[in-house]
Amino acid sequence: MRFLFFAGLILLSFSGHSQDSVRVYPVTWEYRNQSFGEFVREAEAVHDIRFFFVEEWFAGRLLGNYGDPVSVSLVLDNYLSGSGIYYLITPRGDIILTKGYMVRLPETRDAEESKFLPREVLTEIKGDEKIATSMFIDVGNPADRNKPGNATISGWVRMDNTGEPIAGVTVFNQQLSVGAVTNAYGFYSISMPRGSYSLQYSFIGMREKKLNVNLYGDGEIDMEMSSVLIPLKEAIISAQRNATMQRFEVGLEKISVVNLKLLPTSLGESDIIKSVLFVTGVKVVGEGSAGFNVRGGSADQNLILLYGAPLYNPNHFFGFFSAVNTDIIRDVTLYKGGIPARYGGRVSSVLDIVPKDGNRKEFAGNAGISPVTAHLMIEAPVIEDKCSFIVTGRSTYSNWIFRRIDNPWLNSSMAFFYDIAGRLSYDLSKNDKLEFSSYFSNDAFRLNSDTLYRYDNTILSLRWKHFFSNRFFAQLAANTSRYDYTISSDRVLQEGFKIAHNVRSSGFKADFNWYPAGRSEMNFGTELVYYSIRPGDYLPSNDSSMVNPFLIQKENALETALWFDQKIQVSSFLSVSAGLRFSSFFALGPADVMQYDPSRPRELSTITDTISFLQNRIIKSYAGPEFRVSMNFILADNSSFKINYNRTRQYLHLLTNTTAVSPTDTWKLSDYYLKPQIGDQIALGYYRMLYRNSIETSAEIYYKRISNMLDYKGGAKLVLNGNIETEIINVRGRAYGAELSVRSTEGRLRWSAGYTYSRILIRSVTEFNDELINSGKWFPASFDKPHDVSATLNYLFSRRFSFSASYTYSTGRPVTFPAGVYQTGGITVPYYSERNKYRIPDYSRLDLSMKISGNLKTNKIAHPHWTISVYNILGRANVYSVYFREENDQIKGYKLSIFAQAIPSVTYSFDF
Amino acid sequence: MILLFAGCTIEFKPEIMEDKELLVVSGLITDQAVSNRVVLSRSTPIGNQIISNALTGALVTVTDENGVVTTLTETSPGIYSTDSTTFRGRVGGHYALNIFAEGGNYETDFVEMKPVPQIGALYYEKVVITASTDSSRIDEGCRIYLDSYDPTGKCLFFRWGFVETWEYHIPYPVVNSKCWATERSDRILIKNTSVYNQARISKYPVIFITNRTTRLQIKYSILVNQYSITETEYNFWEKVQSVNENVGGLYDMTPMAIPGNIRCTSRPEETVLGYFSVSAVAEKRLFVEDQFLGLPHFYTYCVTDTLTGFLPEEGLNSSYWVVDDNGNEIPPWWVITTYRECGDCVTDAERIKPDYWDDF
Repeated sequence: MRFLFFAGLILLSFSGHSQDSVRVYPVTWEYRNQSFGEFVREAEAVHDIRFFFVEEWFAGRLLGNYGDPVSVSLVLDNYLSGSGIYYLITPRGDIILTKGYMVRLPETRDAEESKFLPREVLTEIKGDEKIATSMFIDVGNPADRNKPGNATISGWVRMDNTGEPIAGVTVFNQQLSVGAVTNAYGFYSISMPRGSYSLQYSFIGMREKKLNVNLYGDGEIDMEMSSVLIPLKEAIISAQRNATMQRFEVGLEKISVVNLKLLPTSLGESDIIKSVLFVTGVKVVGEGSAGFNVRGGSADQNLILLYGAPLYNPNHFFGFFSAVNTDIIRDVTLYKGGIPARYGGRVSSVLDIVPKDGNRKEFAGNAGISPVTAHLMIEAPVIEDKCSFIVTGRSTYSNWIFRRIDNPWLNSSMAFFYDIAGRLSYDLSKNDKLEFSSYFSNDAFRLNSDTLYRYDNTILSLRWKHFFSNRFFAQLAANTSRYDYTISSDRVLQEGFKIAHNVRSSGFKADFNWYPAGRSEMNFGTELVYYSIRPGDYLPSNDSSMVNPFLIQKENALETALWFDQKIQVSSFLSVSAGLRFSSFFALGPADVMQYDPSRPRELSTITDTISFLQNRIIKSYAGPEFRVSMNFILADNSSFKINYNRTRQYLHLLTNTTAVSPTDTWKLSDYYLKPQIGDQIALGYYRMLYRNSIETSAEIYYKRISNMLDYKGGAKLVLNGNIETEIINVRGRAYGAELSVRSTEGRLRWSAGYTYSRILIRSVTEFNDELINSGKWFPASFDKPHDVSATLNYLFSRRFSFSASYTYSTGRPVTFPAGVYQTGGITVPYYSERNKYRIPDYSRLDLSMKISGNLKTNKIAHPHWTISVYNILGRANVYSVYFREENDQIKGYKLSIFAQAIPSVTYSFDF
Repeated sequence: MILLFAGCTIEFKPEIMEDKELLVVSGLITDQAVSNRVVLSRSTPIGNQIISNALTGALVTVTDENGVVTTLTETSPGIYSTDSTTFRGRVGGHYALNIFAEGGNYETDFVEMKPVPQIGALYYEKVVITASTDSSRIDEGCRIYLDSYDPTGKCLFFRWGFVETWEYHIPYPVVNSKCWATERSDRILIKNTSVYNQARISKYPVIFITNRTTRLQIKYSILVNQYSITETEYNFWEKVQSVNENVGGLYDMTPMAIPGNIRCTSRPEETVLGYFSVSAVAEKRLFVEDQFLGLPHFYTYCVTDTLTGFLPEEGLNSSYWVVDDNGNEIPPWWVITTYRECGDCVTDAERIKPDYWDDF
C-alpha cells in the first residue's frame, strides 16, 4: 500500500526542520466551570501560547472536572472529545483548533507529533483580505526529501455540510503553475517534484482554500470545502480561475447555481438555460424561445443530460422557462467544444446538469413564490453521513390567475406546468455508492383555442459507483428517459382527434476511471442505448369521433459506443489528452421502407418498391470513429494555450421546420435514408490571468463543419408523415467564430463581459434542382447572429443586500421577406424567394435585480430572501418577429415585440 | 404569463429591393354551364401597390383526355375564357392546361374532375362578443356553418368559396340610400375527410361576421360553392394557408415558395406561381334576416356640417354631398357630408336588387 500521510506541522519561519518535541503546559489555575474563552485567556496569560479558534464553536459549554494536575492538552482532550473539534499544539506554542477536517496520521510517526489538523481560519479567505498562510503541512516522510523524482498528492474533495463530493475543483500549485481538477467523484491527483509549495483549492461558488505543503513523498490530502451562501455570508466566489488554465478542453464552461442565482431573472425565475445564454458562443433564436444554439449548431445538436440521461424537452411553456428547477441543481457544465470521449450522440454541445445529493447532516429546505410559480425543496439525511434524499417541486398557478382575469381571451386559455425531481443517495459501503434519481415534468396549455397541447418528460436513473481502489473506480448506470406529447381537440365532437408522439430511450453505461501513478489519467467505458419512437399516431379522442386511426410505423434502434481517453503530462508545460469514441447505430425493424426512383427527387409519385424488414432485423447500420484530441501548453504561470479537435456523430434528430424549436416538433432516428449528422470542430484558445490572478481573460476561435444537417422542402409536412424522406433536404453547415471573454470573480464587485463573433452558413446538397435552397448557394441559418455582446455585474453592498445587472446585445436573426405577391383563386399569397436574405433589427436588453435577505441570525428557523427583478428595464421594444399583411391593396410590414416594456417581478423565498 | 401580452406591433416599411415578376396562373374548370376562366398575370414585387398586372396575348388551351383541344379567348386583358355554349366540364373527365406566352411553353398534368356532393346544410348561429373593454355590454355577431356528406365517399378533399351579398341602408333621405354590396371570399376554406371513416363534414365554420360592418344591418345572404379537389390541390392550399397565416413568429413554418401544378417546359428553372384547378361544383345559398344585439351606428362620422341660408354650388357632389335637403323650408338648411359614401351608397355597392333577393 502506498498511502502516505501528513506529518507534523512546522512553522513557516523555521530555519531547517527543527524537530522539537511539543512542550507540556500545566494548568495551574482553577479551570473547572470556566468557559472555554476564559480558559483560553488564562492559559495565554500564564504560558507563552496562543489559541486559534472560532468562539461560536464553544458557546455555552463550560469546562468540566478533568482531575488534577492537568495539562492544557489533557483539558483539550477531555473537553473536545466527541465534539468533532481537533487541536494541535505546535512546538512554538500555537494551539490550533479545527472543526470537521480529518487527516490520516502517518503510521511511521508517533501519535503525539501528529495530533494535527490544518485550521480552517488559516486557509480560507475572508472578505477581501487573504490571511497569510503561516503553516506548512508535511506530506510524506521528511527523510525522503532528497529522493529523486516526483511525488504525488491525491485525495478527495467534499462539501463540508453535506459530505457530497465536488467535481471540478481546481487544485493548483502556484509556484509551478501546475494543477489538477477533481473528477466526477471529487477525486484528484497531482504530482510534482519534491519541495515546498502552496496549494490552492478553488471552485466556483465555494470558499477558496489554501494549504502549504512540504512534499517529501506521496500522500493524501482530503479537503472539505464550504459553499458560499450569498448573501448570508460574506464571501468570495473564486471561479474556475486556474481551472481554465488547467483543463484540457477548449470551450468548457462551468456554471454554478450559486452564481446563477445572482443573475437577474425573467419573471422571477432563476433559470439554468437562460444563464447558459450568457456564455460566449451560445445564442438563442428569439426572446423566450426554446432551444439554444452552440457555435452554429442547431438546437437539436445539444445533448442535455440530467442524471446522465438525455432530457428531450428542457423547456416549459415554449421555452420561457427551463424544465429543471434550479433548486435541485448542484452545477452545470457546458461543453462547447473539446467534448470528452465519454459523451456522444450530439454534434454541437453537451450540457451536463448535475443534481445535488441531498444534505447528509441535517434537514434543510427552501420554499418560495414568484409571479409565475411556487416551489419547494427539501433535503435531509435518512442515515446520517450515509444516506440522504432531496426532493424539489415547482408548479405554476397561472390557471388560477387566468380564471380571475376578466378577459374572455384569457378565461378560455390555460397554461400549466409542473416539475418534480428527487434523488436518494446511499453509501452501501466505503467503496460502493448507490443513487436513484427521478424527474417528471408536465406542461399543458390551450391558448384561446380548442386545441390542448400537453407534454411530459420522465427520467429514471440508477447509478452505482464502485471504488476498486482510490485510483480505480467504476460507475455503472442504467437510465430511462421518455418524452411524450399529445395534441387533442374536441371542438367538433365527431372530428375529435388526438395526435400522440413519444420518444423513449433506455441506456446502460459503464464508465471506468483509472489514475495510475504520476499525472496520467485514463477513462474508458461503453454505452448502449435502445431507442423507440412513436413518430405520430392520429387517433379518435372520443367515442362519437369518426376519425380513422392513422399510425405511422414505429422506429426502433440501438446505439452503442466504446471509448478510451488518456490524459498525459508530457512535460511541465505540455499536457495532451487523446481520446477515441467509436459509435455504432443500428436501425431495427419491423419496418417497411419505400424505394424511390433514384433519378428523380424522392416523392410519393416516385416510389418504385417497398422492402419489409422483420422485427429486430437491421434496416441500416452506421458506424464511425470520433476522435477527441486536446493539447494544453502552459506558457507562463498565468497563461496557457490550448488546441482541440473533435468529431461527433448524431443519430437522433429533431424534425422542425419552424424557426425555433417548438414543443410539437418530433424526434426522428437515423434510418435507411437519414444519415447521421457528423460534426468536426477545431478550436484554439488562449487564456491569461491578469492583475494577480484576479481577472480572467480568454480568447477562443473555432471552425466547424457539419454534414447531413436537415432542411425541408417548401411547406413540408412533418407531422403524421410516414414518408419523411420525401420532405427532407440534406444540407451542409459551416460555422466559424471567435469568442472573447473577461471576468473578475473576486471581491464585492464581480463582473463579466463577453463578445462573440460567429457565423453559421448552410448550403443544400442535392442533385435535384427543385430541391435546392437559394440556388444551392451558402446562406445564413436562421440562428446566424454574427455579433453578440453580453455582460453581467454583481455588487454585494452588504451581507444582506446585493445588486446585479445583465446586458445582452445581438445582431438580429435572419428572416425571409416575401419577394412579391400574387393572386390565385381570389387569394392574395406572398411569394418568398431567397431564404434568410434580410434581418430583423438588433436586439438589446438590460435587466436589473436586487436581492435582500432578512435577518441573518444563524439560528433563526428560516432565512427569508426577497428578489426584485426588472426585465428589460429600458423598455426597449425588441423585435421578436416581422410579418406582412395585405392592407388596402398593399403589403405592409409589421414588427412584433413581445416584451415591449420593462417587466418587474418580485420573488419571495426562504431557506430552512 | 400575463406579461406575455405586454407586447406591441409597429408598422414598418421594409427596405426591400425585389423586382422579380413571375407568371401567375389562376384557373378553374368546372362542370357548370358557365364560362370557365384562366387568369394570367405577373406577380407584384413587394412594396408596390398590388395591381392586376395582366398578361395579355397568350395562347391558352385546355386539352381533355380524349385529345380534344379547347382554345380560350381573351375576353378582357389577362382573362381567358371558354365559351359556355361549346365547352362544359364533365365529371370524371381529365383536363390539362397549356399556355404559350412570352416565348415560354407552360403546361400542367391532366387533372381529374371529381364528383361533388350537394351541400347538406348551410346555417348560422349568433355569437356573443364580449367587448374586452366593457364586459357588461353584449354584442352579437354571426357565424355561418355548413354540413356536408358524400355517401359515395368519393369526395375526400373539399374546398369552398363564397360570395356574400347584403342589403344596407344609409339613414339619410338621399336618392341612393338602399344598396346591395357584394364581396367574394378571400380566404382558404378546405377540409380533408380522408382521415375520417366517412366523408362527413359537420359544422364547418365558413365565416364569422362581426357587428363592425353593415352586413347584419338589414339582410344578409351568402352563396357557398363546394368543390371536390384532388389531394395534390388540397396540399397546395394547405401550404398556402400556412404561409398566409404566417405572422413571422418563431413557430411559423419557414416561409418558402409554394410550387403549384404549372411548370415551364421550355425553361425548367423558371418558377410559375398559382394553380390550375378542375372541379365539379355544388352551391347553396343562405339568407340571414335577424336581430343582432349591439349593432353600432355606422354613420356617426358622416354629418360634417349643417348649412343654412346658402348652399355653395362649388364643390357640390365633388367635395361635399347633401344628405338632408331642407332647401324648401324657411330658412332653408342642408345637412352635408364630406364623405361620399354617406350620401351615395352606390360608392361601395350596387343599387340594383339581385333577382334572387326575395325568393326564399
